[in-house]
Amino acid sequence: MSATSPGPIIETRELRKVYKGRAVVDGLNLRVLPGEVFGFLGPNGAGKSTTVKMLLGLVLPSGGQVSVLGGSPADPAVRAKLGFLPEQFRFQTWMTAEEFLNFHGRLAGVKADELRARIPQVLKTVGLDGRGGESLGGYSKGMLQRCGLAGAILARPELVFLDEPTSALDPIGRVEVREIIEGLRANGVAVFLNSHLLSEVEQVCDRVAFVKEGRVLQQGSMQELMGGVIPVGIRVDAIKPGLLEALARLGEVRHTDTQTPGRAEIELWLQSADAVPAVADAIHASGARLHALTPRRPDLETMFLDLIEDRPAPASTIAVTPEAVRA
Amino acid sequence: MHNALLIAELSLREAVRKRLVSVLLILSVLFIGFYLYGIYRLEMNLNERALDAGLDDRSLNGLSNAPVMYSAMFGMYLVYFLGALMSVLSTVGAVSGDIENGVMQSVIARPISRAQLVLGRWIGFTVVNVVYVALLGTALLLGLYAITGYLPPSPAPALGLILLSVTLLTALTVLGSTLFTTLANGIGVFVLYGAGFTGGILTAIGTFSDSPTLVTLGRAANVLMPTNALWLGSSYLLQPPVLLEISKATRGANPFFGSDPISAGLVLWAAALAALAVAAAMWLFSRRDL
Repeated sequence: MSATSPGPIIETRELRKVYKGRAVVDGLNLRVLPGEVFGFLGPNGAGKSTTVKMLLGLVLPSGGQVSVLGGSPADPAVRAKLGFLPEQFRFQTWMTAEEFLNFHGRLAGVKADELRARIPQVLKTVGLDGRGGESLGGYSKGMLQRCGLAGAILARPELVFLDEPTSALDPIGRVEVREIIEGLRANGVAVFLNSHLLSEVEQVCDRVAFVKEGRVLQQGSMQELMGGVIPVGIRVDAIKPGLLEALARLGEVRHTDTQTPGRAEIELWLQSADAVPAVADAIHASGARLHALTPRRPDLETMFLDLIEDRPAPASTIAVTPEAVRA
Repeated sequence: MHNALLIAELSLREAVRKRLVSVLLILSVLFIGFYLYGIYRLEMNLNERALDAGLDDRSLNGLSNAPVMYSAMFGMYLVYFLGALMSVLSTVGAVSGDIENGVMQSVIARPISRAQLVLGRWIGFTVVNVVYVALLGTALLLGLYAITGYLPPSPAPALGLILLSVTLLTALTVLGSTLFTTLANGIGVFVLYGAGFTGGILTAIGTFSDSPTLVTLGRAANVLMPTNALWLGSSYLLQPPVLLEISKATRGANPFFGSDPISAGLVLWAAALAALAVAAAMWLFSRRDL
């Protein structure tokens, strides 16, 4: 590893967990870098939760290696730098939110005077300002999830595990959580996000990994996973002669739709965003009138379905990174 | 150790906030009041009978005071039984309950070792149970003394043996809580408690019928689960000479009260068993998946 590239904060090698003879996690190789928001995706039963539990020291691996923040998650000194919001956010309902945070802060080794200042701060961050004195037993599911999120970020962790962090939240809450995640990233905190909401992952994650049957199918940035292509949506009045050939010289024409009279849609995959002006030039040169030219982020849902359901995909779109090889 | 004490503090606060302590205090005051009222009425009856018989006073240590002495014995048996019940019921979900309701995940993800968590839970619940039984036993004996002027011999060591029994039961319940579900643990510990009581009955029958096999079986049960043996040792210390003579005359036929002192070895074994149970709980919980 070079001096300029920081080492991974999470690294697993051939990680395995076997329950009653069945491998739930089967040779999983994963790398998460400092300060990035990492999306962990897969269908139900893919081994995501078991993996998260092994990364937190809640479940002991059957084999392989796991390193979190350069150490073992079984080491309390490593866990002191972690935050965790479990999917099943159940807490001591006889406590108030402030008592809950105080207890977790003390467990994490935060000093009492620092906690006095920090607890109102995190309650405000998660939208529970002024509600800290209320019993958790009277909280709604969404409020409990917010409180759990406050607990996850309370001790200023270096790495935060969020397991379905918005499952009980309304749209406003989801936006707020996204802002919290972006705030964490801005402060150099890495986030390991396990979520079924692909649009959410798409918006905040720097890199993602797809898992199926306990193995990482692919991992990398969205663009890497798309084979380095950028999908561009084009809307013109008509497909003039020579236009598709001109566009094919710039990228790969994936799809055309001329069913709507007076309008034609073209999906073009480019290797680089730098080619977008040339696309506009080609359209003008063909004589077509350009109505829209929209470079899009890769569609995570399509990628997810292609990968998880073993749909055939064009060879050019499959990005086989070293981590993508079967673990 | 800091984290273990933090968990112990949590357990104590949990007991208070879940109204375990307040419910116990109210019910215990009712129990003590009811029982002492019965003793008060008994004392009045005995005094009336003594006056009717032309006696100025009754001997506190004589046979005429046997009903009061037995009241003290059965009262302390109830204290022991309530203590055992409390030890199991309060602690039965100490670890398993938190696993089952999902609380454990967020706690264990913190920089606390699992051994510290188990130790803290045991300390917290042991403090609650021991303080409760100590207060209950002391209140009963002081009330008895205030009403009748009678105090059983060696009350402090007798209460000490009961408290050791409570400590052991709490430790075994915490151990079960790291291994089994809450329901299975509760059933399991009560069965163990029953095994100890069975040991006492077998020993009593074996002694009464002069059957060495039954006595050996009873002793084996006492070693496996020494709680009942601790009570019998405690009851021996609570009995004045006149009751011990009755007990010996009937060759220990009463399985509720001991007619022989408990051996120091068995007391040490009970203490060691409690320590072993906590150590095993710490070790086993450190190796299980959550």
